[in-house]
Amino acid sequence: MAVRAAPARPEVDREATPWRRLSLGTAGGVLLFGLVLPWLLVRLDIGNFLVVLLILFFMQAVVAQSWNLIMGYGGIYSFAQVALFAIGGWTTGVLAHSLGWNPFASILFAPVVATAAALLIGLPTLRLRGTYVVLLTLAFHELTRVFAITGPRFISGGGYGLTIVPGFPLGNVSNDQRLIFLYYIAMVIFAIATFVIWRVIYSPLGVAVTALRDSETYGVSRGINQFRVRLLLFAISAFFTGLAGGYMTHYSTGISTSVFDLSRLIDLLAMIVIGGWGTFMGPILGAGIVIGLDQALEGIGDYRALAEGLIVALIAVFAPQGLWPALRGIYDRFLGPEPAEPQLAAEAEADSSAGG
Amino acid sequence: MHNTQLVQAVWGGVLFGSVYGLMALGLTLVWGAVRLLNLAHGAIFIVGAYTAYWVVSTLHMPILVALPAGVLVAAIFAALMHVLFIRPVIGKPGFDNATLVATVGLSISVSAAVLIIFNPEYKVVPPVLSGSQNVVGVQITNQGLLVIATSLALFALVYLFLTYSRQGMAIRAVSQQRDAASLMAIPVVRTYGVVIAISGALAGLAGVLLSPFFFLNPSSGFNPMIQALIVTIFGGLGSVRGALVAGFVLGLFESFVEVYLGVAWALPGVFLLIILMLIVRPNGLFGIGEVRRL
Repeated sequence: MAVRAAPARPEVDREATPWRRLSLGTAGGVLLFGLVLPWLLVRLDIGNFLVVLLILFFMQAVVAQSWNLIMGYGGIYSFAQVALFAIGGWTTGVLAHSLGWNPFASILFAPVVATAAALLIGLPTLRLRGTYVVLLTLAFHELTRVFAITGPRFISGGGYGLTIVPGFPLGNVSNDQRLIFLYYIAMVIFAIATFVIWRVIYSPLGVAVTALRDSETYGVSRGINQFRVRLLLFAISAFFTGLAGGYMTHYSTGISTSVFDLSRLIDLLAMIVIGGWGTFMGPILGAGIVIGLDQALEGIGDYRALAEGLIVALIAVFAPQGLWPALRGIYDRFLGPEPAEPQLAAEAEADSSAGG
Repeated sequence: MHNTQLVQAVWGGVLFGSVYGLMALGLTLVWGAVRLLNLAHGAIFIVGAYTAYWVVSTLHMPILVALPAGVLVAAIFAALMHVLFIRPVIGKPGFDNATLVATVGLSISVSAAVLIIFNPEYKVVPPVLSGSQNVVGVQITNQGLLVIATSLALFALVYLFLTYSRQGMAIRAVSQQRDAASLMAIPVVRTYGVVIAISGALAGLAGVLLSPFFFLNPSSGFNPMIQALIVTIFGGLGSVRGALVAGFVLGLFESFVEVYLGVAWALPGVFLLIILMLIVRPNGLFGIGEVRRL
């Protein structure tokens, strides 16, 4: 009796849809861990400090991921990230401070205005390439900085920024609880941003920009509208950057013009470069490392920026892949499951190492 | 009264235009030959300026000794940058990424180092020439006249160097067709080094000559670099003539806006002008159809 062959069903490409491999248990477990963690931490002596660090980590990781989305994946050399962060921060700050809005309402406008600003700057610049984008976004950064310092008083606060923005109204709770609620808000923003960016990277949009980055001629000849794709990516990136800016304004109940300092820029760049340029996990890992090192190296003060700049330059030149691909390689070699189709895996490896 | 404003605007425009041109000249040379967007150009600027400051304040030497010292140290710094950070990635696929990030990292390190060695307080570098003339109520400083003359002379010198000298021809050959130049036995990588060192010397010179007009602090290289980038793009990336013309055009434009509309409008005005320019002529004034290239 002949065995009847099963009808051939097109298999979903698991490499292309990583969220299908994510089991509900894992996701729920991570979420539960994230929810319970602060309650455990605040019982420790330095627990509050650790929770604060985690909040910082969430926000920096959101900004670094958004930047990596356009720089690493999109190949758009934009230096407007800090300016967009500031625009988000100032938007909600002014709404809450000058107009007396509830921070929970005003923060919703932070990403909207940041996205609008990104579209405004993106329309003339994203048709151009490389150098022009660097220049115009740097000039935009400077323009925003000058406006924040010398602009009308309700924006500039006399050159110091906004110093008395109301924090999130969390009701009458103890300090510990307040911190934990702030942590939850940060975690939710981080989780949403990370998930959306993850999906975007593997969506047709993400594949299109990666194709354009690797071979523009090929991408364009396959019918990708380069300008539209890049503008969309830029807007998504600005959305989460602005949201993070808005959160940080209410978290620290103010936003100072020192956000425009170049050291902020190098911090973010260091997260991307150290973690791994153009990889999904890279900026998250990098954010953790940079924030951790920041605390460990607190004592060396001014030397920190010096060291950070040099490390970034050295990694960019001598180990452009960053840490995440290296860790991933070690994991795959010693701990990971045997690759089912060695050829495919090798190809994927070659692809991912070619980028960036 | 009107005359005073007009003379003020023209004088400021010509002065700053010539300096922007000088800074942009270095950037455009490096871009044209090496295809490198040097975001450490502002850092080289302050390396030159602080060296001159150190020679004057600590060694108690006259500024005429400090000037060549600043230029030399800036050139050496640029050459070192080439050897350590640019040369290893020449010809590799990630050249654009790597050099962009590396030069940003370097420029931040330089600011931090300057902050540690000196301090954040504003420094003053003495002018090479003191004294001034008074033209209808506007102070025309001799230092300013020197800066303008030096800038124009250097443009002429660089032009002659590129056109007639052996090394200059090598640079042009490398920038036009690297592979062909290499087949003609031109040492490509060394030529890159020469261009970067020349560009560094120009930035250092700009730093020493310009710092009497500003107070010097660790981040004062950023603004001249942005202006130079704008000038470079306005004039056309890689074009020496473009850098000269665009330097004066933008300098005068900014100066007139400052005098007649107020300082706050200068940067937005320039920004608007450059965006209009990129819409009308995406390659800049004298650019040669290379928008599609980083």
